[in-house]
Amino acid sequence: MSKVVFCEDDPMIRKLVQTAMRSTSHDVHIAEDGKQGLELIGHLRPDVVFSDVAMPVMDGFELADAMRARSDLAHIPIVFMTASVQREQVEECFRHGAAGHLAKPFTMSELRARVAQFLKS
Amino acid sequence: MRKLPRSLRFYVAASTLYAAVVFFAVQFIYTIQLTQSGILVAERDSGDVLSSIQIVSFIVWLGISLIAAAVMHRLATELAGAKSAEEEAKIAGEQKEQELGSIFGLSAAVAGPLDLEQIGGYFVAAIRGALPTDMTLALIVYDDVLEAFRTVAADGPRAATLQGKSYSTVALPAVVRTRVIDHRQSLLLADDQAHADMWKKIVEELPALATATSFAALPLVSRERLVGALLLIGEGIDDLIADKVQLPMIMGQYVAGSIHSALSVKEAEARAEREALVNRIAQRARASLDPEEILRGTVDELAKVLDVSRALVCTGATEDDLAVTYEWDATGVAPVGIGAKHVPIARLAARLGRTVIVTDVRKDRRFTDPRAAEDVIQQDVIAAAATPIRVGGQLAGALSFSQVDRSREWTADDVRLIEAVAQELRVAITAAEAFERQRAAVAELERLNRAKSDFVSIVSHEFRTPLTGIQGFSEMMAGEDLTLEEMREYAGDINKDAHRLNRMITEMLDLDKMESGRMQLHREPLDLNAIVSDAVDHMRPNAPRHAVSVRLDPLVGEMNGDRDKLTQVMANLLSNAVKYSPNGGEIVVSTRAERGAAHVVVRDHGMGIPKASLEAIFERYGRVESLATRHIQGTGLGLPIVRQIVQLHGGTVWAESSVGEGSVFHVRLPRGAALISAAAEAAS
Repeated sequence: MSKVVFCEDDPMIRKLVQTAMRSTSHDVHIAEDGKQGLELIGHLRPDVVFSDVAMPVMDGFELADAMRARSDLAHIPIVFMTASVQREQVEECFRHGAAGHLAKPFTMSELRARVAQFLKS
Repeated sequence: MRKLPRSLRFYVAASTLYAAVVFFAVQFIYTIQLTQSGILVAERDSGDVLSSIQIVSFIVWLGISLIAAAVMHRLATELAGAKSAEEEAKIAGEQKEQELGSIFGLSAAVAGPLDLEQIGGYFVAAIRGALPTDMTLALIVYDDVLEAFRTVAADGPRAATLQGKSYSTVALPAVVRTRVIDHRQSLLLADDQAHADMWKKIVEELPALATATSFAALPLVSRERLVGALLLIGEGIDDLIADKVQLPMIMGQYVAGSIHSALSVKEAEARAEREALVNRIAQRARASLDPEEILRGTVDELAKVLDVSRALVCTGATEDDLAVTYEWDATGVAPVGIGAKHVPIARLAARLGRTVIVTDVRKDRRFTDPRAAEDVIQQDVIAAAATPIRVGGQLAGALSFSQVDRSREWTADDVRLIEAVAQELRVAITAAEAFERQRAAVAELERLNRAKSDFVSIVSHEFRTPLTGIQGFSEMMAGEDLTLEEMREYAGDINKDAHRLNRMITEMLDLDKMESGRMQLHREPLDLNAIVSDAVDHMRPNAPRHAVSVRLDPLVGEMNGDRDKLTQVMANLLSNAVKYSPNGGEIVVSTRAERGAAHVVVRDHGMGIPKASLEAIFERYGRVESLATRHIQGTGLGLPIVRQIVQLHGGTVWAESSVGEGSVFHVRLPRGAALISAAAEAAS
């Protein structure tokens, strides 16, 4: 079973993601911030990580940098979910090694399709 | 005894000889004839008679001869006298003719050219012949532009040392200054007993004269104006006697007129040149709106024309505010630096309200007086000139020029130029002020524009989060098979996010209202302590990691205010205290009664606020954006709202903080003032 890790500080979005992914067959884990997320990722070695950028304790970019710094995690693709659609911020995501970008608000089908895209390959 | 002419001596000798010959001849003839006639008397008797006759006749002859000699001598003397007078008259006539000729020659020569050097050359050549060859003569001309005498022509053994030299009036010997320049009288001095004292003095002042024996300075005056002087330096005794300088003096007065005309032309040219320069500067000052460019065009040009080492434009409304805003330095001159405040000469000009000139700071009492040590001019400056710049009667700055390499006699023309340019600089300074205002306005607009786009990005970010929830849950409710229970739950979630969104919008609108003065306070008597403790109670569930303690001063008591708005103030301050101390820690909320005011303090032990941002955080969208705060949610409107509400209550809010240790927010609400204004409101 493919494993997916989500990092999101907003409880409502966490709940939404949890609910949306229930209908899929993936093993979904959700962390509340980057630090929790990094622990989960190191432990689970997921196929893909979806992360918010603005989070307390450790934000999405710091998480991505930390993953790139670890040889065992560097290969795992990370997709940023951001509320900002401004070009500079989207570009910054890719500078931090993002494999993709998902703009908030997103539809559930969009979310599921993006997850599936990374799990097929 | 008078010597007799040779011809007369010869004549007297000849006539005496003749008388003797005649005498002996007569005696011989008498003797023969008397003997022949037999009347020869006795030797003794006849001898006596004869002797008497002979003596008498001899004396008679001698007398006649002497008388004739005397008459002849008188005649000869008269003749000789008449002859020499005639000759003398002839010689004198020739000399006069020569002098007149040279005057006419000179007048013809100087009628044409107006160049000072040429006039000088003709003049010197014209009088050269009338003076001993070993005498040095020089024509010095008073140059109004230089304010000094300048040698325009010289001739004689000392000509080389005089040629092309300038002498400022103060550098001339005192006797020349008083006698020649002030009183316009001729000065004739010789190294003799009659003038011994004066000669000694003049040699002291002009050591070059030590080897000379006489010196003359003859003023050249034309139409009441001293245009120059003729200097004569003699090397031999009796070189300079009044007779000899007569011709140079007459001719000097003649050339004075020409020199005057030449000087007038030169002055008119110089004046025209100056006017052209001022006009050029004025045009430049008006052609540009960029004050920097105006200063570059005017001050630089003037500095070069004046040949100074440094030019400074200081601006400031008072003498003490004057600071360098523009600087030009000649090559190799160390700059004073933009913003430098201590330019003593500029300060002096500003204080006196007029142009100030310093010829040599080392000799100027205003700058050497140790009591004025505070006002010591820049170390390197030797001479300086400064003039105040006034705009609409108010001091706006000062323009100063300085010389670091030498002392300098600032001429009246220099001063006029500096003053004229200072006038033109008013335009530049006025423009600079307008430009600065414009620039500040543009900067403010840019800042607002940036703040606006920042706000749009923040708000869109903040709005998108609740929108994601609303959109996602509603999508699921519409498209998936859900139980009624799930439906209810998701509908509740949608509602929560909708409220969140609404709160954000309300905050924005409230701040807008307050900032534009459309917000009305609903004042009522209230207990501030109660509001504070209610707000803390509301906040506690959201701060499980924080230890919140409350210390309320019962003396705070009742005051007048808007309950909802003051609750919002406390809610915002408390929510910030929690948000910006993500690692928990103690939060202390306290109230304190002060004279006529209630003081509320909220202290956290969070990340703190950089000193530079302590003011900006109260500005709209003035949130401190950093790595540490990037993840903290907020519209950046909480503190601006707090400030607006507190100000509407007549109070003040401020923050103290040190990064890494936490922040303290103070709110001070006047109780009396609030009550009074409430009473006034009620009364109206």
